[in-house]
Amino acid sequence: MIKFSDVNKWYGTHHVLQNINLEVAKGEVVVVCGPSGSGKSTLIRCVNGLEKFQAGMLTVEGMPVASEANLRKLRMELGFVFQQFNLYPHKTALENVTLAPIHVRKLSAKEAASRGREILAKVGLADKCDAYPQQLSGGQQQRVAIARSLCMQPKVMLFDEPTSALDPEMINEVLDVMVALAKDGMTMIVVTHEMGFARKVADRVAFIDKGVMVEVAKPEAFFTAPANERTREFLGKILHH
Amino acid sequence: MAMDMFLDQLHGMAQYYPVVLKGVGVTLALSFIGIAAGTVAGFVLGIGRASSSRALSFLVGAYTDIFRGTPVLVQVFVVFFVLPEAGIELDSFTAGAIALSNLAACFISEIVAAGIRAVPAGQLEAAASSGLSRFQQLRLVVLPQATRMIVPSLVGQYVLLVKDSSVVSAIGLLDLTRSGWVIVQSVPNGLLVFSAVGLGYFLICYPLLYWSRRLEKT
Repeated sequence: MIKFSDVNKWYGTHHVLQNINLEVAKGEVVVVCGPSGSGKSTLIRCVNGLEKFQAGMLTVEGMPVASEANLRKLRMELGFVFQQFNLYPHKTALENVTLAPIHVRKLSAKEAASRGREILAKVGLADKCDAYPQQLSGGQQQRVAIARSLCMQPKVMLFDEPTSALDPEMINEVLDVMVALAKDGMTMIVVTHEMGFARKVADRVAFIDKGVMVEVAKPEAFFTAPANERTREFLGKILHH
Repeated sequence: MAMDMFLDQLHGMAQYYPVVLKGVGVTLALSFIGIAAGTVAGFVLGIGRASSSRALSFLVGAYTDIFRGTPVLVQVFVVFFVLPEAGIELDSFTAGAIALSNLAACFISEIVAAGIRAVPAGQLEAAASSGLSRFQQLRLVVLPQATRMIVPSLVGQYVLLVKDSSVVSAIGLLDLTRSGWVIVQSVPNGLLVFSAVGLGYFLICYPLLYWSRRLEKT
């Protein structure tokens, strides 16, 4: 469904993505982890065209992402959840969720609102439809952001460190929503340090370091017997705390 | 004695109320046109100024700098005396309205551009990620947030515009300032007459100032 073939990206002379090859099948959940500055956010942002890359091929359902003409159509099918939520502060939770369905999918306001309410209820926020983002906690905002993406009925959900900006007590309410999504069969790429989540729902875990995809493995193998020295070192650092 | 003279002058001035009313009308009309046209054109220019196209942004910036960097009186003269040379004949009201709207647009353009630039990049990324077109991103996500931020500055600009409109008296237009000139011919007390003119401007501007202060608090 999503295919990276020898994707390369440079910021000036800094080679941030080096010959990335990765294929994500329909219904698969791939967790991407790695130290900060490793290129994992850049990698996931390339999928929906928020970042451009200079060499290689990246396709979603066979359509190249690099083509500006495809991009809008592709983005309708790719939900994207940001570390900083990026909810629209001038709109209520429900309006945040229904904006794109109304203006991009051309749903009627009524249809969009009923779908929006349903999805907000699904993420546990049925009573927050009329709240503005600043009235919500971080965890609630991130759940609205997930609902906003889901309301477009995307084929793939991309998560860029969705819990990194949250207070610890709010992380689980967001992860629970993501686990439910994964169980529903959603195709997902998740950049995260939540290894518990990776172990529980990931079909594969990818480790990226200094722009290189060091290792991609099933979670059991990844956590119990990582093949690469750098992976072992990284896991040693983050799992001991 | 002095008191009698003062009352006489006050009485003399009061007889000119039709002229004053006409002057107030012209000042209000010019201000209203300048605010309305200047805001619309200012948003258009401001969107260009904040555009990711360097060339467009530079062009708009250069244009607005010319008018922000020259006296409004000179601009009014140029429109009124120079454009006719090019075959564009304008009455003084139209000339004044054009000059003031253009100047307002130039200042408002920079305010709008600053507002657009102040909207966090993440907002645009979120809007783009959901498939909104560039125009929809601007209309639905960026401008509503930018406008909220700049309303107090905009209203401040409107106050300046009302006061700047007094320059049209220089091309013979009977606005509030000019009505003072007319009255002072027969009521020889400049201090009194122009204090009254100043009060007139203040009464027009004060509601705007009050509104702007309220907006800044919210």
